[in-house]
Amino acid sequence: MDVRFDNLLFRRGRHTVLDVPSLRVESGRTTALVGPNGAGKSTMLRLVAALERPHAGTVHLGTRLARPDRATRNLVAYAFQQPVFVGGSVRENLDLALRLRRVPAAERQQRIAAAAEACGITNLLGRGAHRLSGGEAQRANLARALALRAPITLLDEPLSGLDAPARRNLLHDLPAALRAFATTTILVTHDRDEALRLAEDVVVLIDGRVRAAGPRARVFGDPPDAETAAFLGYTLIPDEGMVVAVAPRALRPGPGEVTFALEVEEVLDLGVRREAWGAISGVRVSVTLPPGAAGVPAMLTVSAPAHSVRRYPAVLQIGS
Amino acid sequence: MHALWDGFTEALRLIVTADPDLREIAWRTIVVSGSATLLALLVGVPSGYGLARGRFRGRTLLLSAVNTGMGMPPVVIGLVVWLLLVRSGPFGGLDLIYTKRAMVIAQFIIAVPLVVGFTAAAVQALPAELPDLLDVLGASRARKLWLIAREAHLGILAAVMAGFGGVVSEVGASMTVGGNLQGNTRVLTTAIVTETSRGQNADAMALGIVLFAMAFAVNLLLTLVQQRRLG
Repeated sequence: MDVRFDNLLFRRGRHTVLDVPSLRVESGRTTALVGPNGAGKSTMLRLVAALERPHAGTVHLGTRLARPDRATRNLVAYAFQQPVFVGGSVRENLDLALRLRRVPAAERQQRIAAAAEACGITNLLGRGAHRLSGGEAQRANLARALALRAPITLLDEPLSGLDAPARRNLLHDLPAALRAFATTTILVTHDRDEALRLAEDVVVLIDGRVRAAGPRARVFGDPPDAETAAFLGYTLIPDEGMVVAVAPRALRPGPGEVTFALEVEEVLDLGVRREAWGAISGVRVSVTLPPGAAGVPAMLTVSAPAHSVRRYPAVLQIGS
Repeated sequence: MHALWDGFTEALRLIVTADPDLREIAWRTIVVSGSATLLALLVGVPSGYGLARGRFRGRTLLLSAVNTGMGMPPVVIGLVVWLLLVRSGPFGGLDLIYTKRAMVIAQFIIAVPLVVGFTAAAVQALPAELPDLLDVLGASRARKLWLIAREAHLGILAAVMAGFGGVVSEVGASMTVGGNLQGNTRVLTTAIVTETSRGQNADAMALGIVLFAMAFAVNLLLTLVQQRRLG
């Protein structure tokens, strides 16, 4: 089931939170809504779930206009950023969700078992939901959303608040779980690596406006403007009235298609590799040095392949 | 000290002999204050929820009014209710003044701000996403309120205790609108005032001890429920 936003306007007081003339989230795919904090990402999810009403425009789930009614809610599963449970065990929480959706008793047990297994919480089903650790709570939160098997699954920062190992594990397990249970998934994240790993399509939202939308490779490979490129992890370097944007991890030591002079400030020896840290035209960057290189000159030539470099008019204040 | 000891022994005697007057007054106290608390719960819990979760103009003003009402002197409320129910008042035709129902109305008005205030605080302490989650899952309004009340049960039971404690121990409103009529509207607190004014300090003390024991028993029961649910 696809999701369409048409002439959407959402305000809080005088502040325009969202202004989206047109956007379509494709059916059957995982779409990441990415953008900095306060860009309006979570508000978009809330509009899809009809937890907010737009001031103008419409949100359609398939052919149905999103309204705060049971028919709309039945189309949506929502894992909130902050996992929230009622008293009782994890199993009771999942069961309550399915009961509220009027799933027959026999099917509820089967769905709970399947979602719990996919999210790796089978051993936690009997535990009190308020006694889960952060990572366990996120998995239980996800399992509850997936058990609903709704046509549209909304995940708000599903990896937030996790420590590095828990985040890595869930990042590994999540794609398979989404493939198994979710149809159309909209995922909110401010982390581009999460978006790259989890989503097929990406929508970049900055200041409530869609800056880029489309398949992951196209959005990451060709950002429309410098600000979007900066958010996607590109390094922005001023160059004669323009801004040169270099894709993440594209800079290498030595000459190449697009060459820069790196003023080396520090060389970090990390045991398995060494990194040169410094600045290109005042912009802080680092590059990984080839193994065995002895001395590092104060001014190091670095380069990037032409296909990983974009040029934009210099409208952005570098370093802002 | 003498009166205290006499009061204690007299209280024991009244309880052990199941004194009919005492039984009648104690039962009337439970019925009047229990009814007022129950009505305050029926009105106060949904109102407290609305106040905690609603976003409407004047909400802060209303919350301040509720918080002020929590400390309102019962005698003032009694006076207002008396002015409304007295024969020459706007509701004089209802013939409620100096009846148990008038006492229930006055005690209800005393208890409502306590129940609303405690409920609002308990609901506000819950995760903000809980009502949204229940909405998305398709819970009906009544089911949602029930599930949230269940989550806020510690605060709501505290509201019951505060409400019941507030009305069972007040004397001003009950005296003003009930009239302290023997065999009709006399409750434990007004009986204590009567006995004290007669100089029957030991009897007054005995009634006080019975009132305390009754309030303790009710609160013990509610606390047991509260803590068992917590466990």
